[in-house]
Amino acid sequence: MNIASAGNAVQAAEAVVSPGNERIVEAMNRRYEAGFVTDIATDSLPPGLDEGVVRWISKRKGEPEWMTDWRLAAYRHWLTMHSPEWAKLRIGAIDFQAISYFAAPKQGPKSLDEVDPKLLETYDKLGVPLHERAKLAGVAVDAVFDSVSVGTTFRKELAEAGVIFCSMSEAIREHPDLVRRYIGSVVPQGDNFFAALNSAVFSDGSFVFIPKGVRCPMELSTYFRINAGHTGQFERTLIIAEEGASVSYLEGCTAPMRDENQLHAAVVELVALDDASIKYSTVQNWYPGDENGVGGIYNFVTKRGDCRGARSKIIWTQVETGSAITWKYPSCVLRGDDSTGEFHSVALTHHCQQADTGTKMIHIGRNTKSKIIAKGISAGRGQNTYRGLVKVEKGAVGARNYTQCDSLLIGKRCGAHTFPYIEVKHPSAIVEHEATTSKISDEQMFYCRSRGISEEDAVSLIVDGFCKQVFRELPMEFAVEAKKLLEVSLEGAVG
Amino acid sequence: MSSALLHSLLDDAGQTSGPDWLKQVRVEARTRLLERGLPAARNEAWKYTPLRALESRRLRRVAAASQPVDVDPGLYTLAGVGSPRLVFVDGTLRPDLSDVSSVHGLAIESLGTALERDAQSLRASLGRSFDADAQVFARLNSALPSDGAVIRVAAGVKVEPLLHLVMLGSAGAADAYWQLRNVIELGEGSALRLIEHHAGGQGCSHLGNVVNQYSLHAGARLDLLQLQAAPDSVRLIRRSDAVLDADAHLEMRCVEAGAQWMRHDLAVALQGDRARLVSRGVFVLNGRQHADTRIDVSHQARDTACDLVWRGVADQRARGVFHGAITVCAGADGADALLSNKNLLLSDQAEIDTQPVLEIHADEVKAAHGATVGQLDEKALFYLRSRGIDEAAARSLLTLAFCRIAFDSITNEALHGQLDALLLERLPRAESAADTAQVTG
Repeated sequence: MNIASAGNAVQAAEAVVSPGNERIVEAMNRRYEAGFVTDIATDSLPPGLDEGVVRWISKRKGEPEWMTDWRLAAYRHWLTMHSPEWAKLRIGAIDFQAISYFAAPKQGPKSLDEVDPKLLETYDKLGVPLHERAKLAGVAVDAVFDSVSVGTTFRKELAEAGVIFCSMSEAIREHPDLVRRYIGSVVPQGDNFFAALNSAVFSDGSFVFIPKGVRCPMELSTYFRINAGHTGQFERTLIIAEEGASVSYLEGCTAPMRDENQLHAAVVELVALDDASIKYSTVQNWYPGDENGVGGIYNFVTKRGDCRGARSKIIWTQVETGSAITWKYPSCVLRGDDSTGEFHSVALTHHCQQADTGTKMIHIGRNTKSKIIAKGISAGRGQNTYRGLVKVEKGAVGARNYTQCDSLLIGKRCGAHTFPYIEVKHPSAIVEHEATTSKISDEQMFYCRSRGISEEDAVSLIVDGFCKQVFRELPMEFAVEAKKLLEVSLEGAVG
Repeated sequence: MSSALLHSLLDDAGQTSGPDWLKQVRVEARTRLLERGLPAARNEAWKYTPLRALESRRLRRVAAASQPVDVDPGLYTLAGVGSPRLVFVDGTLRPDLSDVSSVHGLAIESLGTALERDAQSLRASLGRSFDADAQVFARLNSALPSDGAVIRVAAGVKVEPLLHLVMLGSAGAADAYWQLRNVIELGEGSALRLIEHHAGGQGCSHLGNVVNQYSLHAGARLDLLQLQAAPDSVRLIRRSDAVLDADAHLEMRCVEAGAQWMRHDLAVALQGDRARLVSRGVFVLNGRQHADTRIDVSHQARDTACDLVWRGVADQRARGVFHGAITVCAGADGADALLSNKNLLLSDQAEIDTQPVLEIHADEVKAAHGATVGQLDEKALFYLRSRGIDEAAARSLLTLAFCRIAFDSITNEALHGQLDALLLERLPRAESAADTAQVTG
């Protein structure tokens, strides 16, 4: 086969850039808006990882012995594992010994008033709704700056409802029984390479417990932010909704500009018991690296929800615009009869960003339902891959899945890929998968332009329409942010 | 990883006929095979078809018998299909069963003869190295001397008669191995209709390994029916590689209705502008059958098109695997790619694994795929029941209709009827449905 000569023809074709495209390139090369670094002395561990480091982290956080042992077991298991290679990602070798596994702001603030003003300024720039703004927005915030929680609001109001919303370290101290019962029950220590690493060295994260029959009175939100250089962040979040409880949880991220690749390996575990529902929404805008692919966050996340009870429901919604590399598959294990899992995603890759993201829906219980809506947008040299598994196990009578994956290509050098895996072992299951790939059509552009809409606005309008199905699922304030994020990245992106 | 299977076949590869370059190809393939072994379970291409059970088996190549075995022509006769016919039994050409009366513009010979006459013209096909570890059986095919068919159509010739290429197994021994290498070349603007037919005597349990290489020059058209109706005791591995030049058209139908364990890799490279592939296929499995079909279509030029529609039915304890990948290379603007894969699961012991894949590197592209796993339409069932057809027969009829998309466009009525009968036989409660089909038909 004469592939080499086809490749040459391809390169020749790439060289042809239409005049309209130049403006796109210019618009797309805008600098990362959230790229600033707050200068705060941090109390970090030197780079490197061994059992001593794991023990140090555990001791520093004042953890009980069982937690230290749990971490060590994860670490020992991690040593036997290899970094996964099946994803459609080009990743340079990661030197896990060159990473510092703990960084915490030096001042230990006890209340928001004591928080370093510089830190608050950082949040301010990012628009985190702390203080009055938080109250006005009606959002309780558990802000994570590097690895330690610095402020938690609305604790009282939540406590009255019986809701526990605190940092993971605090939960380990104050609610050890709950943590011990649920941690690792959805994502076991040895689940995968990055989950094992996280289990060994996780620094902090959020813990949410909604007791039986309680509907969480407000939307819970946490802001992740990577600040110090050479620091991996290893968040661990655990959300438990007891029988009949419901909660909506928001997570947003943005990181300052750095040249080195920063590693982020988070684990999120959701547990929904009978009739419970959990809605987990993410807007991720970490530093994606520059236009040549230098720097940027490596984002390897394991997110999994366990619909343990009958009629339980878990909804994942994500808008992924940042990170140099995204490796993330928020999943639902539909164990309870009549349980439901949903996944709504918008993933955008630009410049040299790579994303391999999707979901897994494992149908185990009877009459379980799942729905997957994934929208991928590729621009520049971005590579965007949807990878999803829908599995219907032998006992999953009446399982039902609907999957729709759409990709939008902007430019000649980007790529959009779809790798769905469908495995069905029960004859009563109905599984449907549809995928399309296209660019913004000339007709669409012409229609908008003929109505007096500028080229940039037209693209933003069309992209917004393309993503609408997903944005609808986001809480309102996130939907606004998500829309803005896409606009910033894609203004004038089609010629 | 060392593999008993590979060692048992490669250790006695003493024959070294053929030109030097071919010997070199064999040596290289052999070295790689012994080095790399069979792909491990974590190889994505073999994810659903583990080779562990095969790995420990020792096989023996079927030697060309001095006294050819008797073969019942009923095993391979197809209604509405006559000569020219080429019959291979256990990997060896059987001139006594073949009939290749001269057809204008169509040259048919065995690979052995073709190599003796003009080896150089086969260098591009036989010299191909199969580099990916996933292509291990094609590599094995290259490592061993092979017979096969070389079929060439001269430029501009549209061959009228339907060519029937039969690949039969007769060996009863469980450790028998045979292979074939077929090279099919269509000159510019030529046309050919070809049936590749896999069959065999009941009870034979060999491992067959067939590699087909098709090249369609500019404007050529190949209408291909691959009918796999080997006995349910056979293991069969096939690879079909097609390369299409500008304006070439490959119209393909696959019916997978046999073999105990079957793997088919279909790789089509649309290398010329406006090249076009239409592929229709179906597998109908029962018992403990395992069938894995893996399609890779690569759009490498402008305005190329592919249209893939596949159906799958799995009953009892069968497992059907389908992988349909479409790649649009950078610069292949104007590509129009469509894949639809629908499957029926008829038993709670059966399994269907399907994976439609899109890899898109160009933006002027229309690409879509869809895959479903489900059951028959209850409304259609109700309709048939209301017309007095019993439920089992109604189910069989609807299932047959579901499968028929694979060969509905075949205009040869006798052949169409035989394909219907073949599939009906494999569906549950076939008898009453066959009667009903006749009554209502």
